[in-house]
Amino acid sequence: MANIHPAGVFDTTYEQDMSVDRTARDKLWKNLAFVALLLVPLASVSGPLELGWISDQYVGLIARISIFVIAVQGLNILVGYTGQISLGHAAFMAIGAYGSAIMARELGFSFWTALPASALLTGAIGLLFGLPSLRVKGFYLAMATLAAQFIIPWVLRYPLEDLTGGPRPLSVPAPIIGPFVAYADDELTDGEPFAFQAGDPYFVDVISLELTDATAYTVVELVNPAGDVLPYGDVSMTVSRDSAGNITRLTYIASKAGEYQAVVRAEAGGSFKAVVRRSKALSFATDIAMYYIIVPLAVLLMFLARNIIRTRTGRAFVSVRDNDLAAELLGINVFGYKLRAFFLSAVYAGIAGCLLAFERNSLSLYAFELDISIEMLAMLIIGGAGFPLGAMFGVTFIRILQEAFIPFLRPWLADFLPQLFPFVDAVNITSAINPIVFGGALIIFLALEPRGIAHRWEVLKAAWKLRPYAY
Amino acid sequence: MTEFINRNRRHLTWALYALVAVLILLFVGDQLAGKRAARVVQTLISGVLVGGVYGLVALGIVVINKASGVFNFAHGWMMVVGGMIFWSFFTVSEISVPGALLLSTATMLMIMSTVSWRTLREGRNPLITVGGIVLLTALMTVGGIEFQWLHALAGTFAGAILTGLAVERFAIRPLIGQPLFTAVLMTLAVAEVLHGVTQIAWGTVELNLPIFVDPHTNSRFRPIRLDAFRDLLDGVAIVRVELIIAFVLAIIAFAGFIVFFRYTSVGLAMRATSEDQQLAQSVGLRVRVILAITWAVAAFLASIAGVLQGGAVGLSLNISYVALRVFPAVLLGGLESIAGALIGGIIIGIVEQFGTLLNSSEQVGTNLAPYLVLMLVLIIRPDGLFGEKRIERI
Repeated sequence: MANIHPAGVFDTTYEQDMSVDRTARDKLWKNLAFVALLLVPLASVSGPLELGWISDQYVGLIARISIFVIAVQGLNILVGYTGQISLGHAAFMAIGAYGSAIMARELGFSFWTALPASALLTGAIGLLFGLPSLRVKGFYLAMATLAAQFIIPWVLRYPLEDLTGGPRPLSVPAPIIGPFVAYADDELTDGEPFAFQAGDPYFVDVISLELTDATAYTVVELVNPAGDVLPYGDVSMTVSRDSAGNITRLTYIASKAGEYQAVVRAEAGGSFKAVVRRSKALSFATDIAMYYIIVPLAVLLMFLARNIIRTRTGRAFVSVRDNDLAAELLGINVFGYKLRAFFLSAVYAGIAGCLLAFERNSLSLYAFELDISIEMLAMLIIGGAGFPLGAMFGVTFIRILQEAFIPFLRPWLADFLPQLFPFVDAVNITSAINPIVFGGALIIFLALEPRGIAHRWEVLKAAWKLRPYAY
Repeated sequence: MTEFINRNRRHLTWALYALVAVLILLFVGDQLAGKRAARVVQTLISGVLVGGVYGLVALGIVVINKASGVFNFAHGWMMVVGGMIFWSFFTVSEISVPGALLLSTATMLMIMSTVSWRTLREGRNPLITVGGIVLLTALMTVGGIEFQWLHALAGTFAGAILTGLAVERFAIRPLIGQPLFTAVLMTLAVAEVLHGVTQIAWGTVELNLPIFVDPHTNSRFRPIRLDAFRDLLDGVAIVRVELIIAFVLAIIAFAGFIVFFRYTSVGLAMRATSEDQQLAQSVGLRVRVILAITWAVAAFLASIAGVLQGGAVGLSLNISYVALRVFPAVLLGGLESIAGALIGGIIIGIVEQFGTLLNSSEQVGTNLAPYLVLMLVLIIRPDGLFGEKRIERI
């Protein structure tokens, strides 16, 4: 749709014609929307200002929506701009998620390095599965990505089971900045308990235990405020080992308030020297803190995707989508641009996967199955493939259906269906309603508005700008 | 150097393929070296037997693809629907008359209104509709438990036709004139809806479908032991009778479809439509009706495959994953080839069984090997063994 300007605004230069925000009012609305989005957690119940205007669950909801907006925007670059169907997007997210989690757990990467590293890793693997696009296209390519959707989780589940934990959930440490304020170093002897405090959820204690000359020892009794011996769930723990397999450093980050205690004991015949180093770090363990990582990143990536189609690369993508043979005749390297689209799409998926891992603090392969790939494709179609805002509309629409419409529908159906059909078990309705509503929405959109919500939004915007005239 | 490569590109490509094939053979041979010959033969036989049913599933996908160019992702869920309806009519001793009446009414209305709802009122059509409803209901209910096979077959027939026609009418037909990509996405959406509906109606628990039972003992067949080849094979190969019956029935269904496709006038019309829709329309064929028939036939084939698969390995929602494993078979055989469907299905069956033999704990056979074959097919020969070469014009 051509750019519609209000009456009296004319493009006189090329820059004006190409600009994203043609008038000051456009710019103002966008900036206001962004600021309003950033203010949401501050107004929430457990926000630092304790205003309590917005329920806490919406903060987490907006963060999760933003994660999927990133992933679906990646799909948009591939499907909407370049016209290559992908049925394996969830698998690429899985690479981003597991890649970053393993980097953080095993290689000692921080979140800030794991994010770009896992995004690049995912991009590289995306390139690998984009290779068949040299010979096949369209629906055949969808088949290649379908193969990716099965091969990647299989590889994560079986050959890499030592790293990923296979079907079991994998815990992921919360992102931190720091530690930057070291305030105490203690020598520790065998069996002596050391206590540490956790209070503020944002500014946490980091307890780093450096062990030298360790031969055989065991770490016991990490005790929480109530006196229970902890599993390591409340306190995230990172372990570094030397080449012989002995632990050289343990890092505890306690995010729940209270007094913790840990004791290191050497086993019979073993010995060690330990130094406890206490310091402070900025933690992103809470939903509100994660919100400020995820949402600006999502906005930035949306903005990037918006601008990609205004570049030479983006125009090449669109020409490959519209007619790849004609594009080739125009001198566009079709294969190269397809691979670039695969790479970009996988990078977006990798970032989304990484954010998902660090937002949930726990990962499971069930979050990356074929259904999720199809769901993301459906979100894109419903939102509007090929529109920069399509991803946002689609994800928000589906999430509203899932969070608001289905809970409203479920008790009514569970009451009504078993009466009508005696063989229906109300238990099954809970899990079955999701695919029905979601498949139904997709059918309705494909049949009635295949261009998606974004197209309606463009029409609405044009009508608003041209009011009170129709043209 | 470059010139040499360019001049001998064809030979070099084939040499590369041969090299890869030799490497794969060496790898598989090495892995198989530790196994006894009996296990290998057993795996080969059960692979072929399993592949027969896969071929039937692939046939359903190929038929729709030939006729309308749509790749049907919902085929697996059509299998589940067919198998579940069969189960309902087969194992429930008392079939509710209102339920049967509802099913047959919906089916007959759907059949009679394929062209448009108006035709329901014309001529003798109301009479035919009512007669069909009465006949189908009678077939589904009369006679009690004695006639459970008749009930189940009639019910599955009606249910399959209803599913196929409904999918075509409400999901595919509104998309005429849209790009094929949209129709493919629509089959994905249909798959989701069928998933939800089957889960609500029949739940996620695995159901027991005792169709392949020994009539004398009324229990499962004892597996056949190939004792005669004991010395030759260094052990006893065991073949499950359920798989043999399923294979034979699948081949019969396959042959039945081919007879229908080649020797009936509807089959001729279907072939004409799949050649060229516009040409078929211009010689007076009703393309819309024929497409609807194609979907009904494909849904019926899916139901048969669902029943066979359910009887052989157990009936649950997981049957839909069989269709995902069959996609490689379809591409391997070629998207337009009926014979290719069977051959592709059998090859995938063998690959799957050997994958399971090599590594049974890690689901190599079901979750990895077919998709590796898929990647290989896409890279080496995207049109499949017997598919048509696609020529494109701007």
